[in-house]
Amino acid sequence: MEMKPLEVFEIEVLDEEYGGNKYKEIIADILQDLGLIRSIGKLYVYADMESAFFAVFGLIRGKLPPLRVRDVGDLIQAEGGYQIVVEDEEHMSDLLKVLWETYGRDKVEQPDRVVLTIESSTSPEDLVVADLETEFRRDLVDALIRIAPEGFRNRRNIMKKDHFFFLAAEETIDPALIAEVEEKFRSMQNA
Amino acid sequence: MLEPVMFTGGVYKHDLVIELVEDLGGYLLQKNITQSEVILLMLIPREDMQIMEDMTKALMGKLDRAPLAGTETAVVTPTLAIHHLPHPACDVAEYLRRHGSKSNMIGMARGVGRDIAQMTGYETALINEHDAVVFTFGNFKKCILKKEHLYRNIEIPVIITGGPDMEQGDLPYAAEYVSNIGRIAHRSRKATEIESLDNIVDAVGRSLDMTREEIAKDPLTTIPPRAMEVIREQVPDINQSYAPLPITLNLKGLRIKLPYDQYQEAVKAVTFDEGVTLGEIAKVMPSRMKNYILVRISPTSVTGFVV
Repeated sequence: MEMKPLEVFEIEVLDEEYGGNKYKEIIADILQDLGLIRSIGKLYVYADMESAFFAVFGLIRGKLPPLRVRDVGDLIQAEGGYQIVVEDEEHMSDLLKVLWETYGRDKVEQPDRVVLTIESSTSPEDLVVADLETEFRRDLVDALIRIAPEGFRNRRNIMKKDHFFFLAAEETIDPALIAEVEEKFRSMQNA
Repeated sequence: MLEPVMFTGGVYKHDLVIELVEDLGGYLLQKNITQSEVILLMLIPREDMQIMEDMTKALMGKLDRAPLAGTETAVVTPTLAIHHLPHPACDVAEYLRRHGSKSNMIGMARGVGRDIAQMTGYETALINEHDAVVFTFGNFKKCILKKEHLYRNIEIPVIITGGPDMEQGDLPYAAEYVSNIGRIAHRSRKATEIESLDNIVDAVGRSLDMTREEIAKDPLTTIPPRAMEVIREQVPDINQSYAPLPITLNLKGLRIKLPYDQYQEAVKAVTFDEGVTLGEIAKVMPSRMKNYILVRISPTSVTGFVV
């Protein structure tokens, strides 16, 4: 099922309407900062300040394909090898690392900030530069920890292929709490 | 009556302003040079304000009233983690600084959580060395109410900031509550956010005025800026201090940023023109902030005279 980026974003904080609306802004700001909005389809947040817990349930939009050399810049076949003109500098260090590993340091040169030359007859086109899926999951956990109130230090975090569940509480997390939160998320999704 | 003002202008000929302050019998509290601009915080006799305004005009500078000048305000966050910093605590601190106050940021060691938040005796004592304190709390009403025990033992005026609208009566231990400035994850730039910052400055100003009124009922033996001038002359090592504000003024005294053990005798021996020493009219004690020296000037009712 194809989802739009953040097509559903619901938040419910018991007896704290203002806090709920404000947290919606905070979550949007943090997801924006870490560049995660496009990868999340639906997001449900449920919190209660009386029993001091904060829970997030989200659906992930499809799997991100690994980033290959052809995705980060233009590849040109030149005399004695290949030239890459990098468009997205974000992954420059990863790119250099993978090229060094594959061809050796003496075969790779960087005559200009965004230009790389490789002395080899084999094309680097299909080399994997970065595993975006792993990066996304790492950033997502970071975002969730940043979003949840800092004092809620007992955390339960479940990351699955297509969804994630995060629960942070001040007291010990017991199965009854998890069941309550899961039930709430089910009803939020069905509403 | 001395009026706190801030001069902002070019570095060129700003010495003339400093000379004029001395000639008028005012005090220079702070001088900040940032590349080609200079910011001077001063106390000027109210009746001579026109002369200073004329001088400012001649130098193409700007003269503003700085109601918080000569005071020190603490901005307290539950911790120093990314949840609370840099927004909005730094915005609050910066805004207070712009209005003339010396603002210090304090992150509590265990201030997080609703039930588990704690405050140590050291933190309370450190905050009590300031003239006012701003606690930056979050967006949930229940948490703000619950965290009252953090500031119950604080003796200086406490200003609480938080998101939701609340009645003053809900927080009996706070001097003021400023709403609409809870946890945010972006820099304050919207008109409503700036307005909230203005509200904090107003609230701090009102609280400080109350303290000033209280002091006026039993005035200090000497005013802190005068003590500062004398210390600068007689303890020249203060000019070698690398602290941003080597002598910080409080309403009831000052903090000297020199090691206590080494300099306490020299500070106590500082003598005024009238012949009394600072040790006779003030308590000189170690500050909780690093190993600085804290001076608390005794009121007239204790010493029986004014210098």
